Amino acid sequence: MGSRLRDNVQHLFECFCEVAAPLAEKPPWILQKYPTTFSDEEILKSVPKFAYPCEIENLMVQHFSFVLTSIDSKWTFGFCRHDPKTDTALVILSALPWHEIFYKLLNNIATLMSNGTGEDLWKFLETVYKSPVPIPGSSISIPVPNSKVNFVCQSPKQFQLPSIPENRNLTEYYSAVDAHNMMIIFASMLYERRIIFISKRLSRLSACVQACNALIYPMIWQHIYIPVLPLSLIDYLLAPMPFLIGVPTPTLQRVRKSDLGEVVILDADVNTIESPFQDLESLPQDVVTNLKKALRNRSALLGDGVSRAFLRALVQLTAGYRDALTLEQGQSITFNQNAFVESRPSSMQPFLRKMLELQIFQQFIEERLNMLNSGLGFSDEFEMEACSYSAKSGSKFMQQYREWTYAMRKESSAFFRSVKDKVKDKGKDMKTAYKGLKWKGRSNRNDTSMRFHQPRSAPSSPTSDRRPIDFTSPPKSPNGFTATTSYRKDLRLRNSNFTDPRKQYSPLSPSSPEESDSPPERVNIDLMQELRHVIFPNSPPVDRTESPEVPDLIRLDSTTSSDDFDPLLSKSSECSKQMTQSLNIPEMSEGLSNPLYPYFQPLHKSNDKQQRSSDSAGDLDLLQAYGLDFNKFNISNGGSPSKNSTVCNTSESSINIGSTFSLGLNTPAIKSQNNWTKFE
Amino acid sequence: MAREYDHLFKLLIIGDSGVGKSSLLLRFADNTFNGSYITTIGVDFKIQTVDVDGERVKLQIWDTAGQERFRTITSTYYRGTHGVIVVYDVTSGDSFANVKRWLHEIEQNCDVVNRVLVGNKNDAPNEKVVLTEDAQRFANQMGIQLFETSAKDNINVQEMFMAITRQVLRTKKERKERQAIQTSETVNLRKSTKQHKKKCC
Repeated sequence: MGSRLRDNVQHLFECFCEVAAPLAEKPPWILQKYPTTFSDEEILKSVPKFAYPCEIENLMVQHFSFVLTSIDSKWTFGFCRHDPKTDTALVILSALPWHEIFYKLLNNIATLMSNGTGEDLWKFLETVYKSPVPIPGSSISIPVPNSKVNFVCQSPKQFQLPSIPENRNLTEYYSAVDAHNMMIIFASMLYERRIIFISKRLSRLSACVQACNALIYPMIWQHIYIPVLPLSLIDYLLAPMPFLIGVPTPTLQRVRKSDLGEVVILDADVNTIESPFQDLESLPQDVVTNLKKALRNRSALLGDGVSRAFLRALVQLTAGYRDALTLEQGQSITFNQNAFVESRPSSMQPFLRKMLELQIFQQFIEERLNMLNSGLGFSDEFEMEACSYSAKSGSKFMQQYREWTYAMRKESSAFFRSVKDKVKDKGKDMKTAYKGLKWKGRSNRNDTSMRFHQPRSAPSSPTSDRRPIDFTSPPKSPNGFTATTSYRKDLRLRNSNFTDPRKQYSPLSPSSPEESDSPPERVNIDLMQELRHVIFPNSPPVDRTESPEVPDLIRLDSTTSSDDFDPLLSKSSECSKQMTQSLNIPEMSEGLSNPLYPYFQPLHKSNDKQQRSSDSAGDLDLLQAYGLDFNKFNISNGGSPSKNSTVCNTSESSINIGSTFSLGLNTPAIKSQNNWTKFE
Repeated sequence: MAREYDHLFKLLIIGDSGVGKSSLLLRFADNTFNGSYITTIGVDFKIQTVDVDGERVKLQIWDTAGQERFRTITSTYYRGTHGVIVVYDVTSGDSFANVKRWLHEIEQNCDVVNRVLVGNKNDAPNEKVVLTEDAQRFANQMGIQLFETSAKDNINVQEMFMAITRQVLRTKKERKERQAIQTSETVNLRKSTKQHKKKCC
């Protein structure tokens, strides 16, 4: 409902086009396309206009993206590459917002076009087109003909916030626009203004629009969204409704200011904002203060620090939605607007009242209610943060939740047992069994996503609802699976770097250490499966209702290997708890009692840092390429992990202690764990 | 350069996709100079200049894609517009239910916005499921005008657009008058205080 990304994505890309540059009077046109059968006339008519949205100075290779919106309000992304060596533009249309991947693919295609034969190119495109969309966290690798290079398509992990410098859009946005202006734009988006970004460079323009859109996660921009506006559509700037539009600077100069009305304009080239509103000033001040503080700490902004800072601001504003849910036995959960406002500090109330009037907020609540009422639990970055936030503020919600968990525990322990038995019996075969379950789990998820709404995962991650597999389909996609395994291995390798003797494997795991990280996950999955079959067939929303709130739980670090994540888990929040416990304690049944795994997070953090430090050299290069200055942090820590740890805030040291308890199991989840963070 | 119109109004047309919003717009603005962008960028608009009691009114009517995904349509969505045309399909009970919910919501928020209710596709009596009486009762309750139209057969379309235009125009004039009265009151007050002061002195 809220999401504007498509589900059921069948192909990595919908269409590839080569577009000829405009000549004198002749508008740009499509030279060739693959697949040749692609026949959406509306889209084909638009592509040339969007590929050449204005006069372009073709001085260096430039990537940008545009977005088309279909009648059901879903987005199709157009990834575009201009190259001074040719007078054509290469365009890939895809339902997936994976900028880095498609920009790389465009580079591969460009190389093939200049070096290879046409046949090579077509064959390559065909292979990519026919490859299944990798499941979150896994990747596929396709050799590029006539070269030693592979095109590697790694599907973003679930629960991953955009990070710097890996996320090109955010990195560009961060380097072009300072923290204060980012906050103004953020505030104006929350007020659903008419917002225009301008830049002379298309790459910067589209990156900034796309990035700031990701920063309002878990909200989703529900209005007009045009990261790059072609000159011919200039009249659409007169739209009276909220919009977020990227306009090449020369194009905006053709519009009379007075015709635009009240509009917020960000010039990304000079980092200035013109706005008739006082949006940032009218956000609750403590939210702004926290946000400012978070964004001032530059050393922490590498990685997902920026995304997280904004996410926390939203958590502070909206996490109270849980306290405003009315749970009554036998009835669907409803959202009480007054309770929502009144449960919060009076300084925040005026803004919260206004927030109720926002389409993005209404959609957000709608979506959460739908998930709750459908009996699906869910978890995502937002709920995790919200959980830690409300734990701090002693939410009554947690208590209710705990009670609920207790009740659920009894029911579910049977499942656990059966699952456990299964696992034990299987011994060696476990992996296979797991495989099957995993797939089953996945298809279930899919199924639910069709009926209900999936939790959205963090902006850079693929949402599970995009998964094309449908309910009835058996474990297809051998590809995907191997991909996962290799991904896991990769993680393991990484982990091995962290000389932490303690990252041990769960006692549960009967098999080799290699597989050790999976066992807990497997268990969870099975559980979910079982629950699902029992619960779902005629699922009345009854007790489940409560489970959804739980969402917090699933901080499936384990899920990081995203495929393992099952929304159902969250449903029984307990499950998630179980997960944590399962890691530490073999006895599943006990797992439930653990409220919030405080020790988990620390691990992630520490791991993350270590990992970061090892990567930091590469990051630095990237950053420099973007002209980013991460000052001392990077420089001093350059390659020395040990230093890094000292640099990190003192708070972390305490965390590290906790981390000793935690298990290596989490390691695969590094990123996601990272997200967890703070339970202080 | 003289402006070619006396008033510019931006209207919003809302309703489920499939109720015939774009056909209504096409019928209304037969000068279809620009292609439809609703399927490309999710938004489209049509322009028409009409004459109301000797005044030239330029209308921009805006449409966005996928509104049926909104359970409620919030005020931020239409705060920049002068009026809203709310369309359902007389052959679809669901589309009417949506529209009722939206209008109730708008009402609850006490938003002052000009509205008109439109039952489109009123050209196949056999398929009609939303009875005129029901719709009329609802419209009365909401205090808005109801039009049953057929974009296909061009029935009642112009009338409907004219009605909302007049409504918007009336609102604008009333507001102006109110402002005028207020300003003159302020002036008077100021004058009187001055006089008062003088007297004091």
